[in-house]
Amino acid sequence: MKLFSRYNRINIAASIIVFVVGSVAFYVVLRAVLLKQLDASLRTEQTEIISYVQMHNKLPEVVNAYNQQITYVVTNKLQPGTIYYSEKATDPDSNEMEWMRKLAFDIKVADKNYRATITKSQVETEDLLQLVIIVGAGMIALILLAGYVINRMVIKRLWKPFYKTVEEVEQYQLAKQQALQLPVSGVSEFDLLNHRLISMTDRAQQDYQVVKEFSANAAHEMQTPLAVIRTHIEALMQDENVLQHHDKSIQTIGQSVNRLTRLNHDLLLLARIENGQFPLQEKIDLDKIILQKTDELAELLASKRITLQMQLTPVYISCNAHLAEVIVNNLLNNAIRYNKDGGIIKIELTSHQLTISNTSLLPALEKEKVSQRFYRHPDTKADGNGLGLSIVKQVCAVTGYTLQYDYHQGLHIFSITL
Amino acid sequence: MKVLIIEDEPSLNKAMVDYLHHQQYLCESVSTFHDALEKTEIYQYDCIVLDLMLPGGSGLELLRQLKANQKSEGVIIISARNELDDKLTGLQLGADDYLTKPFHLPELSARIAAIIRRKNLQGNTVIRFEELEVDVQAKTVKVQGTEISLTRKEYELLLYFLVNKNRVLSKDAIASHLWGDDADLAENLDFIYTHVKNLRKKLLQYGAGDYIHSIYGMGYKFSIK
Repeated sequence: MKLFSRYNRINIAASIIVFVVGSVAFYVVLRAVLLKQLDASLRTEQTEIISYVQMHNKLPEVVNAYNQQITYVVTNKLQPGTIYYSEKATDPDSNEMEWMRKLAFDIKVADKNYRATITKSQVETEDLLQLVIIVGAGMIALILLAGYVINRMVIKRLWKPFYKTVEEVEQYQLAKQQALQLPVSGVSEFDLLNHRLISMTDRAQQDYQVVKEFSANAAHEMQTPLAVIRTHIEALMQDENVLQHHDKSIQTIGQSVNRLTRLNHDLLLLARIENGQFPLQEKIDLDKIILQKTDELAELLASKRITLQMQLTPVYISCNAHLAEVIVNNLLNNAIRYNKDGGIIKIELTSHQLTISNTSLLPALEKEKVSQRFYRHPDTKADGNGLGLSIVKQVCAVTGYTLQYDYHQGLHIFSITL
Repeated sequence: MKVLIIEDEPSLNKAMVDYLHHQQYLCESVSTFHDALEKTEIYQYDCIVLDLMLPGGSGLELLRQLKANQKSEGVIIISARNELDDKLTGLQLGADDYLTKPFHLPELSARIAAIIRRKNLQGNTVIRFEELEVDVQAKTVKVQGTEISLTRKEYELLLYFLVNKNRVLSKDAIASHLWGDDADLAENLDFIYTHVKNLRKKLLQYGAGDYIHSIYGMGYKFSIK
């Protein structure tokens, strides 16, 4: 439920309650005031009757004016005091049952006791009250309607900065290294939110930068010790005596240094791609790169008796030459590395997609894990370091391509949508 | 041939000096920016091996000064930073080559040899070893005056052996020389055997001595013995 709808519901409920309570109170007060007025006019009549009786010692003549009647009834006993009351009675004017306000008092005229009753119609008071209630209800309706219309028109504009912020945050990517840009709205709540978001993303950015620099620096720092180890192994290799006794050890150390070097190289490459250190505006013939790579790998393909099936159309893309080579290289290397003897590699290139598929002894891979760093299928004996596809994925991330993995009829299919 | 090694990591510096010394280079070595500047101002070298991160200043700055002083030495940068920018800047500033750490010593030796050959192109472009003659400009190989035909890989392999003669070369070093660093597939190591075998067969066939020796299955050595 939208905040506004929730607020609106509460608002409407509260308004209705306030108006109902207010109207009831207004009704009660107004009624009391009107009755008091009516009573006052009845009292005037009473005073007039009393003073007439005192003056003339007889009852005044009954003149039933508009909505006012006076009756005298003979009583036995003279009761002091005056009684006010309301009663439903037939209105002689309209002949309908109406509320009547009555004032009754006993008066002694020429030794006779009379009970005088002055009656005034309450119709006008009731009419007035009715009007007040109608007006009140109308007001409620009007205010609610106005509120609704105003909210409808204004609320969208009021919340605009909020949705702008949401949109910006949604598009924000740490890896892009751009500061979050949020406009000043002039509304303190939104500005507070924006301010906090900006400082939060800035901090995240700094932390991310530190982590990224750390991995790049760590990889750099490893290069010199690796160089020292490798050069010393090569120096040791020149000593016939050492070689004679330690050839296996030297070979093992050499291979491990190679693996570390490879790993280091790949981690650095990943960091550099993440850092956006490759300009992407170079014009590249992707088909030529593929032909060149397959040419370089021809020897290897032949030795593993792998059949290469190529369907290339000339494709001209705007990318980075090195990154394009990295994609082709890594996909092809994997296709060879995890292939089986006498297997097949299919390369298809259309204007919007590059697909490289290969046979393998491995079953279908887990889609989510395929491009995870250091993921290798547990059954594989090949010597990859599990970074090849992560690098391809990272290249895709900066170039806007997408990498997809499928398994179909014994073929592991890797496709890049350009 | 005089080579100046500028590298601040002492053990790496020493390993390079030792290796190049065996390749008949006269090596001098320094480990700081200022020593390097002093040496290059006083002496003339055929090739300078330059590390980019030095105590006292950047290797790139040193390169800038060398070129400003109209020094003609060939410069090969060795750096732990495999940054494209550094590489481009280095090459733009006039470096002849760029090698990323960790490198193979025979590779360094081959690159230095190539730079020196390029610098002396007007002079002798033929490398001789006993009855072998390799013309690096024409890319031809002769045995006792008869030209023999080699594949590109065989030619590169022979050249690599010649500039690293009498040294044990590991298969890894040979593989990364022939296929570059990007080709890391272990299977490449098996092709070395094929290429070496073919090269050896051709050389023997044309009457050259048997100079390529397999060393404990880990590599090869090109020598008279």
